[in-house]
Amino acid sequence: MTELIKFLEPNAQIISKRSSIISGLAEILPDDCLITDERELVPFETDAFIAYRRLPLAVVLPETTEQVAEVVKYCHEHEVPIVPRGAGTSLAGGAIPQEDAIVIGLSKMNRILDVDLANRCAVVQAGVTNIAISQETDSEGFFYAPDPSSQLACTIGGNIGMNSGGAHCLKYGVTTNNLLALKMVMFDGTVIDLGGKALDMPGYDLIGLLCGSEGQMGIITEATVKLLAKPEGAKPVLFGFDTPEDAGRCVRDVIGAGIIPVAIEYMDKPAIEICEAFANAGYPMDVEALLIVEVEGSEAEMDAMLDKIIQVAKTHNVKTVKESQSAFEAALIWKGRKSAFGATGRIADYMCMDGTVPLSQLAFVLEGTAKIIEKYGLRVANVFHAGDGNMHPLILFNMNDPEESVKAEQAGMDILRLCVDAGGCLTGEHGVGIEKRDLMTHQYSKEDLDQQMAVRAAFDPQWIFNPSKVFPLEVREDA
Amino acid sequence: MRTTFSPDQLKDPMVSESEAILRKCVHCGFCTATCPTYVTLGNELDSPRGRIYLIKDMLENNRPADEKTVKHLDRCLSCLACTTTCPSGVDYMHLIDNARAYIEKTYDRPMMDKIIRAILVNVLPYPKRFRLALRFAQIGRPFAGLFKQVAAFKPMGAMLDLAPKSIPSDTSSADPGTRPAKGKKRARIAILSGCAQPVLNPAINQATMDLLNRFDVEVVVPEGEGCCGALTHHMGREHVAHQSAKNNVDVWTREIENDGLDAIIITASGCGTTIKDYGHMLRDDPEYADKAKRVSELAKDITEFLATLELPKITRDEEMIVTYHSACSMQHGQKITNHPKDLLRAAGYTVREPAEGHLCCGSAGTYNIMQSEIADKLKTRKVSNLERTKPDVIAAGNIGCITQIGSGTDIPIIHTIELLNWAYGGPKPSGLK
Amino acid sequence: MSETKLILPTSADELVDAVKGAVKGGKVIKVSGAGTKDVVGNHVAADIEISTTKLSGVTEYIHSELVMTAQAGTPLSVIEKELAKNNQMLAFEPSDYAQLLGSDKEQTIGGVFATNMSGSRRLSAGAARDALLGVKFVNGKGQLIKSGGKVMKNVTGLDLVKLLAGSWGTLGIMSEVTFKVLPRPEIMKTILISGLSDADATSAMAKAMGQSTEVSSAAHLPQSVSGSFLDGVYDGQSITALRLEGLKESVDDREKRLMDALSEYGNLSVIKTEQSAILWQEIANVKPFIGRDTIIWKVSVAPSEGHKLVAELAKTTEVDAYYDWQGGLVWVSLKSDHYTTHLRQLIKSLGGGHATLTRATKDVRSEVDVFEPQPLPVAALSARIKAQIDPQNILNPGRMSQNDDVMNKAAV
Repeated sequence: MTELIKFLEPNAQIISKRSSIISGLAEILPDDCLITDERELVPFETDAFIAYRRLPLAVVLPETTEQVAEVVKYCHEHEVPIVPRGAGTSLAGGAIPQEDAIVIGLSKMNRILDVDLANRCAVVQAGVTNIAISQETDSEGFFYAPDPSSQLACTIGGNIGMNSGGAHCLKYGVTTNNLLALKMVMFDGTVIDLGGKALDMPGYDLIGLLCGSEGQMGIITEATVKLLAKPEGAKPVLFGFDTPEDAGRCVRDVIGAGIIPVAIEYMDKPAIEICEAFANAGYPMDVEALLIVEVEGSEAEMDAMLDKIIQVAKTHNVKTVKESQSAFEAALIWKGRKSAFGATGRIADYMCMDGTVPLSQLAFVLEGTAKIIEKYGLRVANVFHAGDGNMHPLILFNMNDPEESVKAEQAGMDILRLCVDAGGCLTGEHGVGIEKRDLMTHQYSKEDLDQQMAVRAAFDPQWIFNPSKVFPLEVREDA
Repeated sequence: MRTTFSPDQLKDPMVSESEAILRKCVHCGFCTATCPTYVTLGNELDSPRGRIYLIKDMLENNRPADEKTVKHLDRCLSCLACTTTCPSGVDYMHLIDNARAYIEKTYDRPMMDKIIRAILVNVLPYPKRFRLALRFAQIGRPFAGLFKQVAAFKPMGAMLDLAPKSIPSDTSSADPGTRPAKGKKRARIAILSGCAQPVLNPAINQATMDLLNRFDVEVVVPEGEGCCGALTHHMGREHVAHQSAKNNVDVWTREIENDGLDAIIITASGCGTTIKDYGHMLRDDPEYADKAKRVSELAKDITEFLATLELPKITRDEEMIVTYHSACSMQHGQKITNHPKDLLRAAGYTVREPAEGHLCCGSAGTYNIMQSEIADKLKTRKVSNLERTKPDVIAAGNIGCITQIGSGTDIPIIHTIELLNWAYGGPKPSGLK
Repeated sequence: MSETKLILPTSADELVDAVKGAVKGGKVIKVSGAGTKDVVGNHVAADIEISTTKLSGVTEYIHSELVMTAQAGTPLSVIEKELAKNNQMLAFEPSDYAQLLGSDKEQTIGGVFATNMSGSRRLSAGAARDALLGVKFVNGKGQLIKSGGKVMKNVTGLDLVKLLAGSWGTLGIMSEVTFKVLPRPEIMKTILISGLSDADATSAMAKAMGQSTEVSSAAHLPQSVSGSFLDGVYDGQSITALRLEGLKESVDDREKRLMDALSEYGNLSVIKTEQSAILWQEIANVKPFIGRDTIIWKVSVAPSEGHKLVAELAKTTEVDAYYDWQGGLVWVSLKSDHYTTHLRQLIKSLGGGHATLTRATKDVRSEVDVFEPQPLPVAALSARIKAQIDPQNILNPGRMSQNDDVMNKAAV
């Protein structure tokens, strides 16, 4: 733990009332839904952003919206901060608790409530995993489009909190574009329903506002998501290049030529090696940069689009073009890509950045990233969603080495600043969380942030929801 | 993941091995999704990531195991689905093994728990005692419901429930001796008789031997071989488990050195996982390390071995739909996924796979006795997924799963090898009336 | 309108000054673009009007990035012309109600986003709000606020962009918008099924959308309105229209597959790119109801329920209607203004949705909620949000909800 990032000072008064808070919660929840033993709290002290950790006051795992509402109401009345948690896969520390807060985990609310194929939507509880929706509807020929790499484990509630994207959002959009309705518990325990199976909610687009609000405005307990008909076929194709520049320019020119494949993913050599070690996907090992381009449709459709892409790639000295030959091979290619972060654990600890930059800046930012990494004497693996400029440099380091840990964090911040300076943003899909919080002032003015915080206050006047996250502590005095 | 072990702590080989395993975990959380207990209970403490964290905290602080930690670690099925899912290559199997041994050393279990465990450890691995116990169980069966009403006696009730209604009497398949190849010998293998399987279903090894003999493989049932040690190993009884392992290593080494062995064939994948791990279990024992390693290398699931024989392709006159249930020890423990399905297809069966095939059926050794509530939920879920594929028969390669799933469905569940033997000229499995 | 002073800022700074001036003077502002949709919404009793029409021009357009930035008052036609040069388009194909609402003006890009004007492709490509990546707007305190940016994926901070989209000028005055654009499809074909009842058409559209043929739009034009389209060639029969777009090879292939899948519905025919473009524009712009002297409701319900709503309405009053968005967007034309409550109750009974009174006389509008009234906690929340962005309630007060003032007090 480097402690470069500060949490809010825990409220000693709340901590001193711990036992009374616990008995209050015990009246609301069944025994196995309340965790208070210190040893049992430890596993909840962090998420997938393990550089930071804090023990919560207690963890509750409600089974119904009503229980969530009662817990929130209790916390509102007793001014106890709340940190919502889905599957705890946040790479930005969005679910890291703090000493005076209770964690509301939605993991027991994992049921799919309704699949409505005529209206192409599914109503699910917030703790349902992303992939479960597609699995449930697969045999009927439908799927849920946003596919964050952690889709196996991450929950819809968490996806909404972070407005998660994924490899295929180049074509299908991110969570906010695939959401029809929400059920949410507000700060005082009131339950509201927003939207429905009709398109475009009436009044202000509160669903749009809540999507990506990082658990700052309420606890979402249910969602209605769009389903899409599965394409006739899909084929990931591997394009290998000798230089990252060639690959970067190829991406720009494919999109510029008016070709929008379903996904364009980028991996550099270190990333290729890491992913191949786990998935045995048959990635070419003799290239410096690899693009995974996925096309969809019938064979004729896929071939037509692929021809056009290959033409562009040839103008950028593409070295290898390899089509997946079977569904099994295709699955391996995606398994490798989607496991890239975790697979990095085989060789080192890592921190994953998430800046997004305009496509024309890809090559420049890759180069800049390499320079920053070199300056700090670290290593990096790049694996990211190239089609929409969403970069994921994985900074490799040894977490048991305090000095190197500090360097890794500093390098990460430098890279994110570079992304913003290149006309991009701090985070494309992982969220601000705790990790990028203090960089917000690099992207937004004080007035911009004040306005966001004012809107936040309309939802949570006492700031009990996920209080240490998103907004830099130093700009909060007016809020 | 960051760890905080002191150099002193790391001198203990168990701690240093655990530390190396923990360092690989990046806390990504992928493992939670495929963990049967997390999916059932929705609590991260009952997931691999939660257990890894509990183990880390316990070991880092040199703290004796406590009731809460033990509760969550006991709930682990050791199905190892997490190791299939884990992109980082965390060796959860050996981490939980270490934790179980640590619990055994540092935790004083409640009396009833001790008694149940003592019964299991002293009965199950010994075929004669086990057969006798099953006879008693048939008398006690009507009382299962009574036992289940008292928390501490639940395991007793579960045991009675699981006991089969009839116990096969012909156990000759486990008799020591050599069964010669039918034609010119192409290989010589030893077959593990094991402990519970020959009591519950001796036909499995009989079918295996018949099939192998028919395809010119000589099969030996060595004198003196016993339980593989999996059962005691999973209960943290390291010493007893290692004794079982050493005994079998001795027996097989004798065979290897006398007439030679091309493979040690195992027809219960749960045992296979453990025997393949003998090399690791005994790695620090100078006398056994090399021998155990050689045994582990020769250990093969029957389907792995059959895949090398290139059996002829057959077409059936009448379609038979076989839904293949992959035991956790098969798919996660030994990473054998395609051989059984390929063999069944080659033998003319139509093979289907259930949804959520990665999830455990709840059998998991003695889990359905010790954790009957979770096991029952998993059984229901598994059976419903299997039944949805509308099979004529369910095939599986592990006696534990066969007993567990069989107690929850009317669809026959047969060992893969019995179906193969039937297809290749053996008798129709008795389970298929 | 003559009594309100019109201010036409030519820069973001001037816009800031104008709002600051209003804050100081306690003046209420009517916010407008070109004013093509002035007659939608509740009446705003304003002291001054700020129009963005002089904030005009494309600021940045790198076509290979698929992103454009323009000043809010830029006429939509200017944007579309610019995009056409690079064979690109606004994927949500904004609809244009100018003719329907009797306006001779041309809507601005800011107006399109402020009212979330999406056409038929909204079904597959998302609404205007989905294309909006970034905004600069002046809030009710006279501060110029930036939200979002110019990249496709951005979750940095609260998404005020979505909040501004469709807020009808009640939360801020946009000075600049950045939005995503897409390549124009190589070709477009529309499969037409003739003679289906509303109910059968609904099932045909659901079936089509469930195929792996990427139908981008699905509409049903009952016999009563079909004559209004494409110069009346389909007069006398209902038409169900399904659009396919993309690369030629791909569209041809999908056309075949879709025709096969829909063969059970009988008479299928196909129209090509040019005719298709006209048809879908006419559908989006509510062509059948232009020039009629009726009350027009825009109703959004679950796609499976649209036709039921119309059938129920027809039991009590004379109704004409047609469907877009797979049946989920129902354009309803009523002769009488007495059915507001009935209509909204029906929507509720069919699983929910919302109705917007898009065209009616000023008198009618002053008596009913033009926009769907919200349940109390949501209305209170919306009022609190408005109060946080426009604390003096000077931006289009009451336009979206007649209860703004009441709710404001409740919120504070």
